[in-house]
Amino acid sequence: MSAVLVEDRVVTPTPSRSPRLRSIVSALGALPTFVLLLGAAYCLFPVAWVLIAATKSSGELFSTSTLSLGSSLLANLGELNGYRDGVFWRWMANSALYAGVGALLSAVLSGVTGYALAKYAFRGRALIFNALIAGVLVPAVVLAIPQYLLMSKIGLTDTYLSVLLPSVVSPYGIYLARIYAAASVPEDVVEAARTDGASELRILTSIALPMMVPGLVTVFLFQFVSIWNNFMLPYIMLANDGMFPVTLGLYTMLKQGNTTPALYTLVVTGSLVSVLPLIALFLTLQRYWRIDLLSGAVKA
Amino acid sequence: MTSMRVSGRGGAAPKVAPYAFVAPAVVLFLLVFALPIAYTVYLSLFRTEVKGLGLGLGNRTEVFVGLDNYWRALTDSELGAGALRVFGYGAILVPTMLGLALVFALLLDEERVRARGFSRIAIFLPYAIPGVIASLLWGFLYLPGTSPFNQMLRELSLPEVNLLSPTGIYFALANIAVWGGVGYNMVVLYTALRSIPRDLYEAARIDGCTPLQIALRIKIPLLAPALVLTSLFSIIATLQVFAEPTTLAPLTNSLSLTWTPLMKVYQDAFGRGDIYSAAATSVLIALVMFVISFGLLRITRSRAFGGER
Amino acid sequence: MRLDIAKKAVAVGLGLTLLAACGGGTEQAADGPVELSFWAWAPNIDKVVDKWNASHPDTKVVFSKQAQGDDLVTKLLTSAKGGNPPDLAQVEYQALPTLVSNDVLADISEGAASAKDKFAPGIWDQVTLGGSGVYAVPQDSGPMMFYYRADLFEQYGLKVPTTWDQYAQTARDLRAKASDKFLGTFSSNDPGWFAGLVQQAGGSWWSVEGDTWTVSVDDAATKKVAQYWSGLIAEGAVDKTPMYTPEWNKALNDGTQIGWLSAVWAPGVLQGNAESTLGKWAMAPMPQWDASAPRTGNWGGSTTAVTAGSKKQKAATEFAVWLNTDPTAVEALVTESAIYPAAISAQEAQAKPPAFFPNQPDFYTQAAKIAATSSGFTWGPNVNVTYTAYKNAMGEAISGGADLVPALTKMQTATVDDMKANGFTVGG
Repeated sequence: MSAVLVEDRVVTPTPSRSPRLRSIVSALGALPTFVLLLGAAYCLFPVAWVLIAATKSSGELFSTSTLSLGSSLLANLGELNGYRDGVFWRWMANSALYAGVGALLSAVLSGVTGYALAKYAFRGRALIFNALIAGVLVPAVVLAIPQYLLMSKIGLTDTYLSVLLPSVVSPYGIYLARIYAAASVPEDVVEAARTDGASELRILTSIALPMMVPGLVTVFLFQFVSIWNNFMLPYIMLANDGMFPVTLGLYTMLKQGNTTPALYTLVVTGSLVSVLPLIALFLTLQRYWRIDLLSGAVKA
Repeated sequence: MTSMRVSGRGGAAPKVAPYAFVAPAVVLFLLVFALPIAYTVYLSLFRTEVKGLGLGLGNRTEVFVGLDNYWRALTDSELGAGALRVFGYGAILVPTMLGLALVFALLLDEERVRARGFSRIAIFLPYAIPGVIASLLWGFLYLPGTSPFNQMLRELSLPEVNLLSPTGIYFALANIAVWGGVGYNMVVLYTALRSIPRDLYEAARIDGCTPLQIALRIKIPLLAPALVLTSLFSIIATLQVFAEPTTLAPLTNSLSLTWTPLMKVYQDAFGRGDIYSAAATSVLIALVMFVISFGLLRITRSRAFGGER
Repeated sequence: MRLDIAKKAVAVGLGLTLLAACGGGTEQAADGPVELSFWAWAPNIDKVVDKWNASHPDTKVVFSKQAQGDDLVTKLLTSAKGGNPPDLAQVEYQALPTLVSNDVLADISEGAASAKDKFAPGIWDQVTLGGSGVYAVPQDSGPMMFYYRADLFEQYGLKVPTTWDQYAQTARDLRAKASDKFLGTFSSNDPGWFAGLVQQAGGSWWSVEGDTWTVSVDDAATKKVAQYWSGLIAEGAVDKTPMYTPEWNKALNDGTQIGWLSAVWAPGVLQGNAESTLGKWAMAPMPQWDASAPRTGNWGGSTTAVTAGSKKQKAATEFAVWLNTDPTAVEALVTESAIYPAAISAQEAQAKPPAFFPNQPDFYTQAAKIAATSSGFTWGPNVNVTYTAYKNAMGEAISGGADLVPALTKMQTATVDDMKANGFTVGG
């Protein structure tokens, strides 16, 4: 089987091939590209569906063929804009706040913690690391009610903090940051700074963290996406619809009960708009979307 | 903000510094993870008792019942059935998703591939779509009445498929997860591939290895640790499956509201208002997840988790 | 009790000072304007709230829009456990006993009992739970009716069924004439709809005697309804996909579903889901089991309730009564939120038909007549459990082979087991 996939440029000991075989081989050379494009099509198709559906009026959404374009994109956007005095934009701003501030704090916290766990030997290090990692194993659904009840005891429910605080500590982010710290902060640089009399805090803020920035951008991006998409936590913590993030807001538009029609058109249009900032993040910060789960661990 | 907290102790010897640096994370972790978990364990030992008709104030009291809630959970046939369904779903999901992710990552790593940047970002894109929206749009695409696939099949007079049938639903759910997760795993594996020294391939090529042979004999073995980790993360995510079946359930007769153990937890806690048995079931689920994850790591004898065990 | 545990857990774990003052029921001294929080989901109800705020400068109601009924019950239960519920909430009738039994709702008989005369006795019984307390003020009701596509009925030569036998025959006739169309669907996703059908058939799922609950989710009337639909599903005379899905919306639009057993609020839903069918629908009374004694059930309908945790119960009660009995408020509810008001005077005042039914000018006159034939019904303290069991068991039964009667046994068992587990006294 391997003979078929031989690239024709490679010098091989195989005897000369017929022209027919040669053309088959060059056709197969395009196969990897074709397979990848197939994968891309599979992943983009549903996104394209949202795009198409957002152009349809509510009548068209349920009466025209699924893949034909409608004529109401602008009307839908206008309706979304006017829905309950523009509350949708408020939800978008809330999402940006939760995801932006939450991810920023999370990246810093992960950076500091990851650096400490990677670069210092201290009692309890293994315990702390393993306990943090075990946090990944506890499903959000399980934590939701106890988190809510404890938050209400300190009077924090229904505040921006109730959603921000739990989002800041991310076991996954700390895990990644620890790997980045191990891989990108050389031991001798830290030692040299220490002999020069720099304080540990100074080493952290002016040497280690700057070196870890590319990795921390990745942590920021992942946290941004996961906070933006989080549903359970704000669903439990928030009651005031003025503080809802956009996922929760769209959910209330969908869950209208038996006696009122679901606002499918608005939800679909809103979904499209709400995904745009994330798509922009993907496209502009492409080079940071690399996830190194291992190198630090291997080198450590 | 974080550095402000430790500034007073910053000049201390490295003995204090690491504790100061991890302190904010540890305190937050205790507050939002450890304490709620401990509280869950505590709640799992109680239940409410109602007096009389239960109508009117102060009719409910909390009583200690020991391990009774655990016993009920363990003997609950619906919970066991749910666990089996999740294993069936995982058996479809994990190999498909990781297989595809591996193929895509290897192809991205091939030199002669075109449209690399586009494919990479396109395959990764679904990762950005929130679960609530993903389930809504897949719902439209699955329902025979609104599905473009069924429309096509109808026009070609071919038999229609109903992915929302009792068997089809496993594939329907797995597909949503594959769609959302394949890009992430591809990026992890691709990142690992890029860190393999290129001269290894050069040497192999000179030895007469084809790209396929290089992939099978060099790349995949070197990817093993990354594959173990991605498998582990995927299995954890599988066991936590909740959002997709919950949002698809109203669309079909094939999904019950207790289809997975976690959905049962949600129903107990929110639907029945019985946080006590929900807590017990949660603890059991978490235990199973611990056993599976650490068991898997031990079996593969991987030191991938930082070698800290 | 639960609150104390949480306090201890926090105090022990973190040594934090406790800020939250819990408990409720005590009246706050009213200095300055009182602020009341109100959770609801009815569309545009915020506009009605604005009217209150404009005319009551000393009591400000702050509205917060929430997801619909079941979700809101969940949130109310959780927030009450956490000690910070809203002052007021929109609650469906069937959720009242659940919330009362969980100490979520306040007894507002002091301020609301006088509103009794404004509502039909059957509706009022639902908010008193048959006792001396008053736990909410009725807002809207949902007497069930039969909706059908008048144009398609004419096209296929069908007559509007007045009995269930005729309904079955009409369903079969339609299938024979147009094999891609259905007269209706049996929805495993809408327990409230099924409960309405059962009420019409004279079923009774819960009853109370002394301190003992009796549960009979599988009583004879319910079995009759389940058997009837099992037969229709088995012969393929009706559809068996759930309602309220995108597919169902499409089916309403393109005439795949030409009938809908629904309630008085259906015009709004049809308008939202099947805009293209404007003026093509008509409404008739439900098909009857006994044509000589017409009856109907209720599907949907909600109340405004005051929570036990509210510290401003008196002001909150005033608002709840105003919202649902004051003529301007109720009129605004009808025009803005498109509800069918529970207040009798407002039902009679509705002269114009719904905008989606211009062809049926006497819509509300007929509706009022039908509403008068509503059957009473006692809801239990764990309707949510019964409803979840309905969704699971009916879904399974329909995928499995369509005999719905065994599903009733599962619903009965789930309901009784849950009540017993919580310590309720359940009699045979």
